[in-house]
Amino acid sequence: MSKVIVVTSGKGGVGKTTSSAAIATGLASKGLKTAVIDFDVGLRNLDLIMGVERRVVYDFVNVINGEATLKQAMIKDKRVDNLFILPASQTRDKDALTEDGVESVINELKADGFDYIVCDSPAGIEKGAFMALYFADEAIVVTNPEVSSVRDSDRILGILQSRSKVAEEGGSVKEHLLVTRYSPERVEGGDMLSVEDIVEILSIPLLGVIPESGSVLQASNSGSPVILDEASTAGMAYSDAIDRFLGEDVPHRFMNVEKKGFFKKLFG
Amino acid sequence: MELKGEMSMLNVLHLQSTDLKEISQQIEAKRDEVPAFFLNSPVVVDCSSITDDLKKLDLKGLKACLTDLMFVPVGVRGIEPEQQAMVTKSGWPVLRAGPKKSTSKPSGKESSKPDESAKTDGDSEIQAQVSEEKATISRIIEKPVRSGQQVFVDEGDAVLLTHTSAGSEVMASGSVHVYGALRGRVLAGVHGDTNARIFCRSLDAELIAIAGRYQLLDEGDTDLRGKPAVIRLDGEKLIIEALE
Ligand SMILES: Nc1ncnc2c1ncn2[C@@H]1O[C@H](COP(=O)(O)OP(=O)(O)OP(=O)(O)O)[C@@H](O)[C@H]1O
Ligand SMILES: [Mg+2]
Repeated sequence: MSKVIVVTSGKGGVGKTTSSAAIATGLASKGLKTAVIDFDVGLRNLDLIMGVERRVVYDFVNVINGEATLKQAMIKDKRVDNLFILPASQTRDKDALTEDGVESVINELKADGFDYIVCDSPAGIEKGAFMALYFADEAIVVTNPEVSSVRDSDRILGILQSRSKVAEEGGSVKEHLLVTRYSPERVEGGDMLSVEDIVEILSIPLLGVIPESGSVLQASNSGSPVILDEASTAGMAYSDAIDRFLGEDVPHRFMNVEKKGFFKKLFG
Repeated sequence: MELKGEMSMLNVLHLQSTDLKEISQQIEAKRDEVPAFFLNSPVVVDCSSITDDLKKLDLKGLKACLTDLMFVPVGVRGIEPEQQAMVTKSGWPVLRAGPKKSTSKPSGKESSKPDESAKTDGDSEIQAQVSEEKATISRIIEKPVRSGQQVFVDEGDAVLLTHTSAGSEVMASGSVHVYGALRGRVLAGVHGDTNARIFCRSLDAELIAIAGRYQLLDEGDTDLRGKPAVIRLDGEKLIIEALE
């Protein structure tokens, strides 16, 4: 059974696209056939982070408008089997996404045997974000440890559980919390909310905590999702999150300030 | 247009026009006279003077405009029953009209159509009975009420099995029960029931109100913040007590 996952947040710049790329790559690495769709029409970011920008010929809007087939528009990843990217258009506006159009693309992917369809939502709670979440079975809500981001995530959760298709039919969308750009030092210093605070406010299950890490920018500059950087803390945290998503019980890491000194680490 | 305090606490905005621009200018002028008094105060919009033209009023815009001006929009009243759906759809709860004055109708037609007038009377009696029965029905809300969402129970209690978020709003004609944290705005007894109460497992509300008497809960207002609490009305005063 195919599952549609929306990666959403309300607030902009919190790490949705970074997370969509990592999650899609992580799922595909487990042998699950995965498509990742960029719903940020007009901005087009996902293809850069996935390193496929020079292979984009047709996009999501072309498919919706019948100017290209889904097969023509989907880009097959060269590093990971089972991974396909459907890029957004750079030139259209968000009105180009129609409910019928999005539904037919998602249905075609389902019929094609995709296990997971990951929808990278644009920021805000306007049309584009609404289209990205409307067909979702599960939602990964990306939140930074600050009050405004948590408040926006709360809003998005309300919209998910009242206005998505599943909700309209009386069901509920499965919720996952992904805290990103987490800096234990700044939490300790009182500048940022702790994971415990965020979980308490939103009361949804915690999928993972991704630490603030310079390797995220490096990864996106080199067009390789950070989850493939197995030496980076962010990459490891995304891998753990994927294992948890698939039902494994994995302890959370990188949530506390690292103790200084080799011996302290070994014996302390 | 008039903006005046009623029931000692609740501001009622009596609309005389449907022109949003005009309305917002007038509200702004009124507010600027005594800004501190109106800041964050709940306001009810009374449409009884403009019921015939209600369609022309941009209700969504009015709500946004009141919010921008730092009011807390509470509900609309003074509308015809058939307008209720339209008003609710635009995101406004419908409140029952203010205390009725005399409602004796012009009796010119009565002699010519005695049957019809008798039937009308009968109907309204039945309606009154039905609404009395409905008053005991409570609504159970299983999901959290999130920021930007509103729950409005027109007849009865609101029973919330989880929490309410900051930036949410729960209103009921009866009492409000929250079996989790109460973090948003909560208004009980919105039709004037002074016996309505608010119960919660953890009190962290932004605003509490019973039968129009309201209070903003700022940091330090009560030592019961974060604790189980019950709120009731004693005369004109809201009393917050520990829920044992
Ligand atoms: N864990 C992290 N550590 C450091 N930087 C990060 C991390 N996650 C994301 N970033 C950086 O934050 C910025 C925004 O990330 P990203 O584009 O993924 O966010 P977004 O939510 O998709 O933004 P938008 O709302 O514009 O679509 C990027 O510069 C990215 O490199
Ligand atoms: Mg993005």
